Amino acid sequence: MSAFIKGRNLWSDAWIRITKDRFALLCFITIVGYGLVAILAKFGMIAMPWDVTVGGSYQAPSLADHHLWLGTDLFGRSVLYKVIHGTRIAMSVGLMTSIIAIPIGMTLGALAGYFGGWIDDLVVWFYTTLTSIPNIMLLIAIAYVMGRGITSVYIAIGATSWVGLARVIRAEVMKHKERDYVLAASSLGASHSSRIFKHIMPNVFHQVILNFTMQFQTAIRSEVILSYLGLGVQGQPSWGVMIDDAKLELSRQVWWQLTGATLAMFILILALNIFGDTLRDALDPKVKT
Amino acid sequence: MFAYILKRILYTIPILFGVSLIVFVLFHLVGGDPTYQMVGKHSKAEQIAQLRHELGLDQSLPMQYLHYVKQIVTFDYGRSYATKQPIGEMISRGAGPSLILAIPAFIITTIAALLIALVSAYYRGRFIDKFVLISCVIGMSAPSLAYILFGQYVLAYKFGIFPISGFEAGFPEALSYVAMPAFIWLVVSMGADVRFFRNAILEETNQDYVRTARSKGLEEKVVYFKHVLKNSMIPIVTYVVIEIPFLLLGAFLLESFFGIPGLGSMTIDAINSSDFPVLKAMTTVNSILFILGTLATDILYTLVDPRVSFK
Amino acid sequence: MNFRKVSCLVIILIGLSACSSKKEKEPENTLHIATLEKIKGLDPAMAGDLYSGDEVARAYEGLLQYHYLKRPYTLVPMLAEAMPAVSEDRKTLTFKIRKGVLFQDDPCFKETNGKGRELVAEDFIYTFKRVADSKTLSEGWWIFDSRVVGLNEWRDEGIKAGKADYAKAVEGLKAEDKYTLKIKLKEPSSQFLYYLAMTFAYVVPHEAVEMYKDDFRRNPVGTGPFVFDRKESNLNSKLIWNKNPTFRKDFYPSEGAPGDKELGLLVDAGKQLPLTDRLVVTVFVEPQPMWLNFMTGKLEISGIPKDNFDQALGADKKLHPEFEQKKIMLHKEPELDITHESFNMSDPLFAKNKFLRQALSMAMNSAQVVDLFYNGRAIAAQGPIPPGLAGYDPALKNPYREFNIEKAKELLKKAGYPNGEGLPVIEYNTLSSSTYRQITEFVEKSFGLIGVKIKVNTYTWPEFIAALKNKKGQMWGYAWVADYPDAENFLQLFYSKNVSPGPNDSNYSNPEYDKLYESSLKLTDGPQRTALYQKMVKILVDDAPWIWAVHRIKFTLSQPWTKNYKLNQLEHSMMKYLRVDTALKK
Repeated sequence: MSAFIKGRNLWSDAWIRITKDRFALLCFITIVGYGLVAILAKFGMIAMPWDVTVGGSYQAPSLADHHLWLGTDLFGRSVLYKVIHGTRIAMSVGLMTSIIAIPIGMTLGALAGYFGGWIDDLVVWFYTTLTSIPNIMLLIAIAYVMGRGITSVYIAIGATSWVGLARVIRAEVMKHKERDYVLAASSLGASHSSRIFKHIMPNVFHQVILNFTMQFQTAIRSEVILSYLGLGVQGQPSWGVMIDDAKLELSRQVWWQLTGATLAMFILILALNIFGDTLRDALDPKVKT
Repeated sequence: MFAYILKRILYTIPILFGVSLIVFVLFHLVGGDPTYQMVGKHSKAEQIAQLRHELGLDQSLPMQYLHYVKQIVTFDYGRSYATKQPIGEMISRGAGPSLILAIPAFIITTIAALLIALVSAYYRGRFIDKFVLISCVIGMSAPSLAYILFGQYVLAYKFGIFPISGFEAGFPEALSYVAMPAFIWLVVSMGADVRFFRNAILEETNQDYVRTARSKGLEEKVVYFKHVLKNSMIPIVTYVVIEIPFLLLGAFLLESFFGIPGLGSMTIDAINSSDFPVLKAMTTVNSILFILGTLATDILYTLVDPRVSFK
Repeated sequence: MNFRKVSCLVIILIGLSACSSKKEKEPENTLHIATLEKIKGLDPAMAGDLYSGDEVARAYEGLLQYHYLKRPYTLVPMLAEAMPAVSEDRKTLTFKIRKGVLFQDDPCFKETNGKGRELVAEDFIYTFKRVADSKTLSEGWWIFDSRVVGLNEWRDEGIKAGKADYAKAVEGLKAEDKYTLKIKLKEPSSQFLYYLAMTFAYVVPHEAVEMYKDDFRRNPVGTGPFVFDRKESNLNSKLIWNKNPTFRKDFYPSEGAPGDKELGLLVDAGKQLPLTDRLVVTVFVEPQPMWLNFMTGKLEISGIPKDNFDQALGADKKLHPEFEQKKIMLHKEPELDITHESFNMSDPLFAKNKFLRQALSMAMNSAQVVDLFYNGRAIAAQGPIPPGLAGYDPALKNPYREFNIEKAKELLKKAGYPNGEGLPVIEYNTLSSSTYRQITEFVEKSFGLIGVKIKVNTYTWPEFIAALKNKKGQMWGYAWVADYPDAENFLQLFYSKNVSPGPNDSNYSNPEYDKLYESSLKLTDGPQRTALYQKMVKILVDDAPWIWAVHRIKFTLSQPWTKNYKLNQLEHSMMKYLRVDTALKK
């Protein structure tokens, strides 16, 4: 029982801290805003259609028409619309990779931490092996195996980014399983799964949230690099593809596509970073300074 | 302690096995078929079969795995599909340019980050600390590709301060080419480094013995430099040592953009030409270096810090 | 704080780099040129791409070459003393080899203590056998394949035995004496002499191949005008070639095409080649640095990157005044090539549906392609034959290459897919580079205009080639660059016996066309053959196995002190004719 009260305190305490910190709140709102834009774009409610010609090739930004706020690309398509759809891709990459990575990290971490012994050895061996291989090479290899396209981007990034979470969860679960409340639960006859999921997990769940903010931005960055390497999203306007296009554009004085995509990405990652930090301070009492 | 070290060394064997298995499965089984590109534009089916045989692509999988293990042991990774050069030689030739870029960039970045972190931690909570932290977060948040493109366009193309790209071997000649990529390296990795170092120092500041020392009336500067610094070096050194093996892979985006013929651009070329033998070799070599690097740190750690016991 | 440290550092680095010193002084008469790809190797048998071919031709030579100045491209002797004597039945060619030609000095010549020995007819036989040897894995085997009497049998025996027997004679390759080479062909061929001018047939000494083995590709030993500086060069970044001190007597031509004299291209007539002491070839993987180096005078010749085109030339395709002032010279010439979108005719969707192919062809706006992707540096293609080759018809207007959405929709209806309804999504193969991605987007948009959808498969180059050779996918963009100046080189791309993995990438097969092609092979160059070529083109235009895209136009710039430069797209050895006017350079 004590666990629940403690948990609620932690969360409500964190919420108060965040709402008090105006800057963090602003970041939170920004992130939600990105999410909203992504959802609206996903359901075709804004910035549709993005792939039609709205002006000449490489038209500079102008305030005349909202299509042209960020200028046009080689085919005269609106860069603003492409940035918005890039947001949709980025958010979906962040979300989907988290959906893949978090359950893997949580399950393996919890199993290893709770049962110890050979299960622990196996899990530790597996993730040590994975981390020994340079992450970028793993990403590339998986992208090759899966073929190109957004699904393989999800899987490649998801499958390579669960290790950090697994480590943390493993350590936390190890700590918690010796605690009184768990021992008490087990003496009352609670099964392993109920001990793990009902008793321990709620107490380590804040780590998952913290990991999520990190996971999200790692995923977005990785997508950019994969796209640059030609292994990323195909036929859709991702930020990575747009930045890659800029290679051919800068010396023609076409700076708007690079600027648009970079700025969109920069603001999102900045917000995630700051919000993540605040969250960490609020949820992880160890680092409080 | 020696038992621990021995155990730690032996533990690298299953890890190496795991790495070789994963790398083999990922690169060997799915490695694209290079033969069609290699036979040229007027090719015939008979020539293709002949080439596949020469490349050993018609062997059974366990045989191919054994062949790969042999490659790891003998460090003879065969020849590249695309350039037809021996891969061992390509790696040793590419290591030079990579290291000329990576080592100075790495050392300068680490030292600068450490100095900034020290100042920032010393004045924690004050304006300068906040300023450093904010700069770090901002620096970390911009995509590195944008730094590269911007640097190349503005500094090299517009103002002509640096050569746009290229490389010349030899000591003074190489510097002008690596200056800008090194500078971008600095900007890109500074944020994360400073933050990590600062946190490591601060964590030590909160330890009980520091409070005791302070309460005993020791001067803040003495406490800071004599105790805090010394002890916070352990996580910092670990962090730095772990990064070293990755230097060889180089900042491969940097190398490829600036035309530095190092291992990084070699890897990018290999990606663009599905040159799986090269990718496999690079992955393996890097993994092994990483395993050795962590091994060295762990052993160092036990020697330096007697508090560490097995697990 | 952060910034100040950083800037200090930058200043230190700049300071250090400023005091760089050159180790050895370069001869004044050095020519600096660029190449756009890393060089795969310097083995003639492997020189399948343009860039390797250029480098190979610095060290090696063949029997024949193209006249540097004359147009249309004409074959002239290189290591042969004269053009070969051809027998009555056109099946036997007899070459007289020049006397006294020496291979470059190299440690592989052990008997002469490293001095290069004299070239003999047997060297050519060895070279040709080496190309035929399956172990060599030469990309150039096709030039001899099924043409030289007995050579295929020799190759097959080698495959069977696991090792080729070079001592065994081949009936069609005979050295009658030290300086006489007799080649016997199975069938008369109008193209065979062109094959002999390709770098695959450049002569190599067996001593070097035997000594360097796998590393032969980095240790060239030929008879050519330049010697490779093995110590200072790196195939991935910079190749240095020094004048060959034992180079044979080879002189600058004394006649050229009309107008060459006025351009000063005949000033050096009759002078011993090469005209430069050193040739430095820098590899620029990205075009931007090449451009910058040219602009600062560090390169004698440069192409114009797509992105810098507006900077150099106006809309009228003439140099901007500041370039004129610097006396930079512009050279342009249509390339002997064609880019295209192929329909995979082995796929049931396209095999029988001519109207569908024609409809898609009409939806692609080639004027826009020329504009967006080539800065206007291309000619919209109407058929397979590029300008500059006999058979090219400037008056030809391909009715299906007109950009006309209405007509395209009509054809699509005729094809059985009104407004694209019922048409499956077309699988389109492409490459993963930025430029290809943009071209693919263009194709997608164009077909979208008539309601046709594509599914894009993005590949790396080897994957792309593998898919194409395995007839996978339904459409793809590709290009063909001439191997020799005969339209046959383009027309063979539609011969049914050349389907994938041969060069007929659309797997086009038409018995009527095949018959015409086969009869054209029997003819020599002349009005009759040209008429036949045009008849074949007509069939292709109507059948539309490709969407003919463009013939590119090559634009290059040269510095005022670069003398004797004339674009030559077929002769790889052209650098021996160039000279640096050292007085002007200062």
